[in-house]
This record gives sequence, C-alpha cells and structure tokens, in this order.
Amino acid sequence: MLNLLVIIPILGAIFIGFWPSDISGKLARYISLGVAVVAFVLSLLILGQFDPANSNLQFTVLIPWIDSLGLSYSLGIDGLSLPLVILNGFLTFIAIYITNKEITRPRFYYSLVLLLTAGVFGAFIAQDLLLFFLFYELELIPLYFLIAIWGGPKKGYAATKFLIYTAVSGILILAGFLGIVFISGSSSFAYDQLLLGTMPLATQLILLSAIVIGFGIKIPLVPLHTWLPDAHVEASTPISVLLAGVLLKLGTYGLIRFGLCLFPEAWGIVAHWLAIWAVVSVLYGSFNAIAQTDMKKMVAYSSVGHMGYVLLAIASSTPLSILGAILQMISHGLISALLFMLVGVVYKKTGTRNIEVLEGLLNPEQGLPLVGSLMIIGVMASAGIPGMVGFIAEFMIFRGSFGPFPLETLLSMIGTGLTSVYFLLLVNRVFFGRLSPLVQNLDRVYWSDRLPALVLVAVIILFGLQPNYLSRWSESKASVIVAKSQILAQPLLLQAHRPDLVITTN
Amino acid sequence: MSHHTLSNPKHPLHKYIDNLQAGQALLKDTPENVLEVVGILKSYGVVLEAYYKNLLYIAQSQFLELFPFFKYFNGDFSNKKLLRHWWHDRINYEYAEYCMRMMLWHGGGGLDQYLDTPEFVTLAKRAIVAKVKNNLLMGPVNTIFPEMLVEQVRQSAYYQGLGLFWEVMSAMFLTLSDKYDRKEITTIPQVVEHILNGLVNAANNPMVYSVEIKGETYDIVPASAKLTFLMDLAVPYVEAVFFRGTPFMGTVSYNAQALQIAPEQSRFTYGALYADPLPIGGAGIPPTLLMQDMRHYLPDYLHDLYKQTKRQEDNLRVQICQSFQKSMFCVTTAAILGLAPHSVNTKNPAEIEANQLYFANWLDRFFTSRIQEVNQ
Repeated sequence: MLNLLVIIPILGAIFIGFWPSDISGKLARYISLGVAVVAFVLSLLILGQFDPANSNLQFTVLIPWIDSLGLSYSLGIDGLSLPLVILNGFLTFIAIYITNKEITRPRFYYSLVLLLTAGVFGAFIAQDLLLFFLFYELELIPLYFLIAIWGGPKKGYAATKFLIYTAVSGILILAGFLGIVFISGSSSFAYDQLLLGTMPLATQLILLSAIVIGFGIKIPLVPLHTWLPDAHVEASTPISVLLAGVLLKLGTYGLIRFGLCLFPEAWGIVAHWLAIWAVVSVLYGSFNAIAQTDMKKMVAYSSVGHMGYVLLAIASSTPLSILGAILQMISHGLISALLFMLVGVVYKKTGTRNIEVLEGLLNPEQGLPLVGSLMIIGVMASAGIPGMVGFIAEFMIFRGSFGPFPLETLLSMIGTGLTSVYFLLLVNRVFFGRLSPLVQNLDRVYWSDRLPALVLVAVIILFGLQPNYLSRWSESKASVIVAKSQILAQPLLLQAHRPDLVITTN
Repeated sequence: MSHHTLSNPKHPLHKYIDNLQAGQALLKDTPENVLEVVGILKSYGVVLEAYYKNLLYIAQSQFLELFPFFKYFNGDFSNKKLLRHWWHDRINYEYAEYCMRMMLWHGGGGLDQYLDTPEFVTLAKRAIVAKVKNNLLMGPVNTIFPEMLVEQVRQSAYYQGLGLFWEVMSAMFLTLSDKYDRKEITTIPQVVEHILNGLVNAANNPMVYSVEIKGETYDIVPASAKLTFLMDLAVPYVEAVFFRGTPFMGTVSYNAQALQIAPEQSRFTYGALYADPLPIGGAGIPPTLLMQDMRHYLPDYLHDLYKQTKRQEDNLRVQICQSFQKSMFCVTTAAILGLAPHSVNTKNPAEIEANQLYFANWLDRFFTSRIQEVNQ
C-alpha cells in the first residue's frame, strides 16, 4: 500500500504532463484532484490498519535496487511518519482544490504538484538513507518551478534563493549520510542497519552537525531561514499551503529520524545548544513577525518561530516532548495552511496584503466577515488558545521540555505571548475598525473560497478538543525513540557531566 | 431658472443652495435615483404602516402597563405568534421605539413644550390616578415616586405623536409608489413635490391623545393644546431623526469623556443624513433593524437593481441604507422647501435674499452629512 502512495501521484503527474492528446485545464484539475483524493484515502486506509501499540515499522516494503551502491527501495511507516503522511495527503487535496481554476499552463502545474506530493510521501516513508535523499531532492525541483513560474513579481529571485539554500541543505545531508555509511563500514544505506552501528563521539558530532545544519535550512532555523519569507511571499497560495504545511516538516522529521535516532550520544552533547538555538529561532521569528507589514510575511516569520518549538522539543528528547514535537508538526501544518489560505483569500479579493492599507474587513456586509472570523480562530489556534490543537502541541512541548531545559522553555514560552502580539496586531489592523475606502467594493466571496478553511478549522478544533485522536498513533513511537536514545546516550552524558562517576573497565 | 440669484460661491455647498433656490432637490435628478428613492420609499411605507399601528396600539392600549411583555403583538397574541416572535420572523418594532425615544430625548416643537405645562401634568395625573387605583403594585410606586409615571405618560404621548406622524407618511410613500407605477412620477423634483404636498396637506392635522381607562376616556393631549402635524411632529422628527440622532455603538465607539461627543445636543450630527452606511448589519445597531425590515418589502425592480451590483445580495442592507439615505435627502428637501419663508418662485429681490439666507443656514448643517456621497 505504501508503494501506491508514491506511485499513484507519479503516474498522475506523468499522465497529466505527457498524455499526447489535449487535456484542458479543467480536466487536468479534475484528474489531479482525483489523484489527491485517492492518495488521501490510501493514507486513511493505512491509518485504519495501523497498529498504534506497535512502535516498529509497519507496511514495510523492501525491493533491492542498486546493490553496488547499497541502495534499496525500502519503505515503512511508523508513529512518527504516519501523521505526516496523512497531513500531506490532506493538504495536497486542499492545495489543488484552492488552485485558481484559470491558472496558466495547467498541465505543467498540476503535474508538478503531484510530483511534489510523491516526493514528500516518499521522503516520509523511505527507510533507506539514499532513498530518502532521492525523494528529498525530488520535491526540490517541482517546488522551484512552482515558485518560479506561478509566483509573484520577484518569483525568480525567491525561487533561485530557495533552490540554492535547499541544494546546500541536500549536499550537507548527503555528506552526512555518506559519512555515516562509510565510517560505520555498513554495506548499505538501510536505516535499520545503520541504527545498530557505533561510531566515535567526535565523528558522530561532525556528522550530526552536517545533518542538523542541512535539516536546519529546511525547517528553517535562524539564521538559515532567509529563503522562507521570500519563498512564501512570492509563492501562490496553494504552494504556500504545501510549503508551510508539509515541506518544512521534512526538516524536523529528518532531525528526529536521522539526528536524534542515529546519533543519540552526540545528540545528548549538543542538545543544550540546540535548545538555545531553538530559543533564538522562536524569539527572532516572533520579533520579526511583529515588524512585518505584509500579512504573508508575518505568517512566514510566525512559521520560523513555531518550528523553533519543535527543535526545542526534539532537543529535550523526553517522551512527552517528542510526542509534542510530532503534534506540533501536525498542528503547525494545519494552522499555517489555514492562515496562508485565508491570507490568500484576502489578497485575491482586495489585491493587497499590506496591513497598513487594509482595515475593517470584518464588516458584515461589505467586508469579508466569515474569512475574518476564521482568521481570528486561526490566530487563536496559532497563539495556543485552549480548545484548539495548537494549545495541545505547545503545552506538551513546554511540559516535556521544562525538565531538561527550564530556562530555554520559559524563554520559548515568551514566543507564544509574542504570537498573540503580532497576530492581534494583524487582526486589529486588518479586520477591525471601519472598512477602508480602498477595499469597499470587493468581489463576492463564494462558499468554495470558504469551504477549505472551514474544514481546516473543524479539524483544528476537533484535535484541540480530543487530542487523543491525534496523539495515540505516535505515543508508543515517541517513547521508544526516547528510550533507545537514552540507553545509548547515558554513559556518554554521564561522562560529560560527572567524569568521576564513570566506571572504566581495563 | 432666472428668477433667483446665485448663492455665495464661497459656501462649500453653494451648489445645493442654488438647487434649492431653483426649486430643485438636494439629490441629483437621475432615472436611477428616482427608481431607488421611490422603490425604497415603497418598502419604507409598508414598514412604517406596521410601525405606526404598533406605536398607536402601545400608546392607547399599553398605557402605564408596568410590564408590557406583549406590546409588539398589537393585542393579537397566540403561542404560534410568540414562537415566530422568538424566531425573529417579525417586524423589528424596536426601531420605531428607538426613533420615539430619539424624539423624546431631543425634544423641540410644541409637543415638547406642552408636556412641561401644568395643564399636561394635571391631565396626566388624572389618568394615572384612574389607572393605578386598586393596583397594589403601581399605587405605592406612584406614591413614592410621583414623577415617575408622569414621565411615562410623556413617553406615551410621544408613542402617539410618532404613530400619528408615520400614519401620514406611510400613506404618502405608498401613494408615491402608486404614482410611479402609473408613470406619473419620473423625476426627483416630482418626488419632492409629492412629499411637500403631502406635508402641506397634513400640516394642520391636530395632534391629540386620549386613553380609555375602565370605560372612561382621559385626555392627555387635548385639542385645546392646538398641536399640529407639521410644526409639532414633522419638524421635531426631522430635527431629531434626520439631523441629530444618537451616537449609537457601531464600528465606531464614541467616548463622551474624551469629548468625542458634543456637549450640546443641538450640535449632534448622528442622524440619518450623516449615518455611515457601512456599519449596517452589526448586531445592536438600530438602523440595521430598519434595513432588515425593508428588505422583505423591496419592489422587484429595486431588488433587481441591487442584484446587478458587484456583491449582489451580499451587501443588500448597505445598498438599502444608501438608497434610504438618498430618499431622506428628498424628504428633507421637502421639509426645507415647505418651511421656506417665501415661495421659491418669488421674484421679489428681498424675498429671494431671505430665502437664500434661509437655505444657506440649513446647508450650514450639511457640511459633515453624506450629501456629497449620495450625489456622486
């Protein structure tokens, strides 16, 4: 079944892109929507058959591929990747649904979106380091074109910057992966084999650094983040939804899967520094968001801040914090997708995202009252208001991280307060007050504009009220990740802090 | 027209002064304006009919009822109607009361003066005594607070006054619509003329008020008070509702302590001619109630016009409010022309000058009104 998750979008992309006879934009849209529905339903079927009590890989697929390289087509899914796979299926469908029906070069566009989806699915379920890298790089090319062709006025600049940053990210990750295999003496890139390998601590630290920086670009962490606001501002709304919703999660997913799990000893050494890095990201992202006048840029910087929480949680590596990190990935995926989508509706109707121009959009008759109301719910969710999924995820992270890193956790919690500050500034300026004369004659808002946002809000509230529906799939996996890493890291950690207590055997 | 002189060109609204001197309206004469004004006044006429009947019912049948729970049912109460009322499938009579209180609060005219006379107090107390006799609750209340029920009677007088005023206006607007349907009305000046004639015809209608208590009739405002329709009801109504209004909560919250509201009521400019149509639709904003009522009775031709706009029916109440504001400028034109010291057709230079001064004084009050917006 995991095979189909990758193959169906690729076949869809090939069909739309290369079918010899004419395919209209409308038909291309319907085909891609159909493929997205199938992929999403497949992910739900996997969910239905997934055993949450089993922390091992499930639905495994192993097909030898290029033995000389040690590359195998190895797929599998566990409590870490399952929620992200479903999120990808869900947001891909929404992104295609909200795509402008009159988009230019529709066949190319929808092909790229499906290819991107296949890449992301593949990366989340790949159980071979080289295969993961291939999928990781596969999503880079479609995304570059999606920004460069259908983006805003500075699309060329933003797409190129994205390409350079992500290519560097890929190089570092590849270097890390090659280093792991060569130094450990493994004959293949199979993830489960590499889990069992051992390496000197110094080597681990070097390789981990490459991987952390590589994935840090993708997350993105300050100061590696500058590609993200540009990419978001220039990308069209559906691409921003995918970018913020799932693509950034490849970075945090990679940190857990290939950082924490492969280098538990080294992770224990650098964890404190990562927690400090997380604080810097949270505060820098939040303060920058306050200073923005472009709604989309504000949400983009908010993403930088919120992804910092995930790093804090991974650095803490307690069962609760790892579970919180997984939930925060999903929570941020849903909330940022909602916010980008609503910003997109505002932009589509008013022609601007400038919060100094917009005013009073909550006006019940002439404004965008439902869009404004949903935006208020979205920013509440982002600020961690109880009753919504953002609260659950952030609470778990802070509760789980407070033990190992109390000061860093407290400083990160300031970020949630700052989230309220910048989003209340946004809501107050854009939606409250008298409707600006510049935007009084807006187009009608149709239910098709509102429906995806309503669905996302429903999901955000559902998981906020009943977080168990979300957390139960990952609880055992989070505990196992932490247990394994602590067993492996314990002697080294002890050595680092109290060398006198380490018993050596000669 | 050649028989009037041009107004002072330095006056920011001199164009409108010239229009008035020429017997024209404050609203531009276009076919679309005629359609909007007549259409909206038709629906307003239907709504006013419901309002005035209820106001008169409350004045006469709910006189000094301490808990008038069912005052909006006009004496025709049933559980089915109560359910419809709770479901809000009904006329918003609250708007009529809101206007009544606006008149009571701002005062002005003969009715306001009369309600402060000893004659009124005597008549009111007679009725109060008859009403509270053997009433174990209201009797002691009246003894402890002797002014309270008198003030209630003053309010009842305003219920009656506004009810009588709207009775005339409702019929006038519905007749206007009939004439338009017969193509007898095709221009804005004709609309104004129709309203002006209606006001003049009813100008001397007496404003009287009496209530029946236990089979006996008690005068509250007798004919001897010599209150009339035009000067004692219409003029204070225009002043209170069209010009002054009240600073209600909308998308703008007024802070009286920060002097955002003029300390003298006479300087208030929150009336219909100044109202911002944009906050329409906000919960608790009184004009919204009227717009909601009117949307049920829009003539098809006006409804079709609204549907042709960019947002179609999404901002129907704003569009209704904008049309309503246009129509109110026509009613105001009729009131100004009707009260002019001399006919606009006069050729006497002194009278022309007097008229010009009179019009300029009126237009001085329009600086912050929406006269420019409705004429764009």
